Amino acid sequence: MAKKKNKQVLRPWCWYCEREFEDEKVLMQHQKAKHFKCNLCPRRLNTAGGLAVHIQQVHKLEPENLPRIENALPGRDGYEVEIFGMEGIPAPDVADYKRRKEIELGLNPGSITQPQSKRPKVENRPLSEDELKAQLEAHKALMGASEAANAPAIPEAASGAVYAAPSQSYAAPPTPAIPPPVMSPPGVPPVMPPGAPPFMPGVPPPGFPGQPPFPLPGMPLPPGMPPPPGFPMPPPFAGSPPPGMLPPGLPGAPPFPPGVRPPFPPPPFLPPGMPGVPLPGMPPPAFSPPPGAPGLPIPPIPGISPPPGMPGAPPAPGQHPAAGPPGAHPPPAQAQHQPASSVPPPPLVLPNPSLAQVNPPFKKGTALKWGDPNFSPEERRSRDPKYYFPPSAASSEGPVPNVSPEEMRGKKRARAEDFL
Amino acid sequence: MSDQIELASPPFDSVSSVRFSPSNPSHLLASSWDTTVRFYDVATNEQKSKYDHRAAVLACCFSDATHGYSGGLDTSVRELDLQTEQIKHLGQHADAISCMNYSHDQNTLVTGSWDRTIRFWDPRASNHQTSSHDLPERVYNMDLVKNILVVAMASRLFHIYDIRKMDAVAQTRESSLKFMTRALACMSDGLGFATGSVEGRIAVEYFDPSPQAQEKKYAFKCHRQTINDVDHVWPVNALAFHPVYNTFASAGSDGTVSIWDHKSKKRLRQYPKYNSPVPSIAFNCDGTKLAVGVSYTWEEGEEGAKTAERPAIYIRNVGEEVKPKGWTGS
Repeated sequence: MAKKKNKQVLRPWCWYCEREFEDEKVLMQHQKAKHFKCNLCPRRLNTAGGLAVHIQQVHKLEPENLPRIENALPGRDGYEVEIFGMEGIPAPDVADYKRRKEIELGLNPGSITQPQSKRPKVENRPLSEDELKAQLEAHKALMGASEAANAPAIPEAASGAVYAAPSQSYAAPPTPAIPPPVMSPPGVPPVMPPGAPPFMPGVPPPGFPGQPPFPLPGMPLPPGMPPPPGFPMPPPFAGSPPPGMLPPGLPGAPPFPPGVRPPFPPPPFLPPGMPGVPLPGMPPPAFSPPPGAPGLPIPPIPGISPPPGMPGAPPAPGQHPAAGPPGAHPPPAQAQHQPASSVPPPPLVLPNPSLAQVNPPFKKGTALKWGDPNFSPEERRSRDPKYYFPPSAASSEGPVPNVSPEEMRGKKRARAEDFL
Repeated sequence: MSDQIELASPPFDSVSSVRFSPSNPSHLLASSWDTTVRFYDVATNEQKSKYDHRAAVLACCFSDATHGYSGGLDTSVRELDLQTEQIKHLGQHADAISCMNYSHDQNTLVTGSWDRTIRFWDPRASNHQTSSHDLPERVYNMDLVKNILVVAMASRLFHIYDIRKMDAVAQTRESSLKFMTRALACMSDGLGFATGSVEGRIAVEYFDPSPQAQEKKYAFKCHRQTINDVDHVWPVNALAFHPVYNTFASAGSDGTVSIWDHKSKKRLRQYPKYNSPVPSIAFNCDGTKLAVGVSYTWEEGEEGAKTAERPAIYIRNVGEEVKPKGWTGS
């Protein structure tokens, strides 16, 4: 444990130029290429000593005429120290480097240098009942609204309840379900004095930021209620969707038709972990259920959700067999974002079947990342319901771009705000 | 100076193409599947303007310092005025526009489309579309050097044109690679071109049809990795030649960008891997910067899009690594 932490903080580094590396292998490659390269021939040596011997013996240079080690920091360009990866670095230099690294990373002095075995032991001790009670009391006193917190939060009083509600929802479990030590991020020294509100420092429990007004049953949310003022908004991606996942319904919906998009952006504080809360006045089709969220199914709304069986593109009669290699492009499993009136995108058809290509076989085991010999990733992508642009729209509406940039811009702005 | 910066306001969905201005080394256009083209000043890391389209945009290019062009799934060719932020509709293809280039010698825009045509456009003429040329297959990539236009199509076909004499194809070739053509770039010295396929391979070819010149063409493997005895092979998504040194960069769906010297047949540098595929790269006009679009490229279809990383555009400062060994000036 301690060792692992140590490694996380201190990556392998090169003594000659103080560069950091992912692992020692890369570091050694770097040293060979940058510092132990002979500048008289293309030979690369493993160590400074090896380089010195090579230059003396192969290039017949006197020991006193040896060139300095290339690309090295001043004072470290000599041959006296035998460095191989991380081995052989003089102890004072290691200590000095660690100290500077600590300062750079904003860690407490000694957190890298000293063995870390002691701290986790202290932190992992579960808090006793008395200590927990004391902490709870101290916290309640600090908040000064302990009674209000016990009453169910009302949306109207949201701004007041926002701060109190969490303490309720968190402190309610009688046993320390989440012991505080778990919450302190690794590598950070304990900054939490005993008796402080247990949830203040560190990471809030999962699902915490958005929860207060929502999960309480029997609490209808007025349609279109704006986020309560002063509500602590979670950062857009705070741990909820997979990194880089675009918020549902954002660029996901087809750029057309305007009718399907919700009239206003979905409340940014709705955590994607709870898609099941149907909000009146907010048609769910624009949300695609977040991947991996086991939440409640979205209640189907007649007329908007496609009937079952609609989503896989049915093969058109007379379609060329090469157009759709079986299994190469599984039909979209998820409900389509298309309006009810539009048909699923037609399958790709080879314009000139006589030119159809077949990938030659491989000699050895090969994982080819794009195995379709006839259609490019972009062509496949263009037929995804999310991107599909029906040709009729292109011809029927003519040169639209001059007409509606403003409208489009406004919509995009709304989306952008949603995103940010 | 750090070796690369990340642009502060990247597109929301995959990057389809990045292009630098022909005259301003810090002006960049980036088209995206989020239906926009964005105009950046990479020196100040600022998005100067954004152009919304009706569908995903697959291609963009500059004509001069203040005008750009775009095309994509909505089949329409647009002129973007980068000063007034006006969009002008020039005309239409019958299917999505996959690539475009601007010829500075002829002052004409060339667009290629999956409708199996390339079309020439003059935004100043009353009839914007000046000509259309039928091809046997869907156009995937094009590049232009001097007056030579190379068109890469589906079914591994290549056409080479002299754009002053578009009535006839100068050369018709089949790809020397056995798999679908994915990338194409012409050498800065105008002697040849490089192509990349979906099967992690790059071919270097020469225009000169004489047997001596054709003998010099070759291909090599790249953008692969062997894991547990299985060769993982990623598509080569983009190629770009350095405007001064004539070395070239390749970008793959494995998330790496490499610099190659095609004369000495050596790799000069492989940059640290990005966390997503690299769909597009471009050198700027003075060859000091390399724009790298990083985003999902649909190898795993819709499923992959759900777990894809956030799109990003990096601007890398390039240094000595793009110089061939022993460079003495051309």
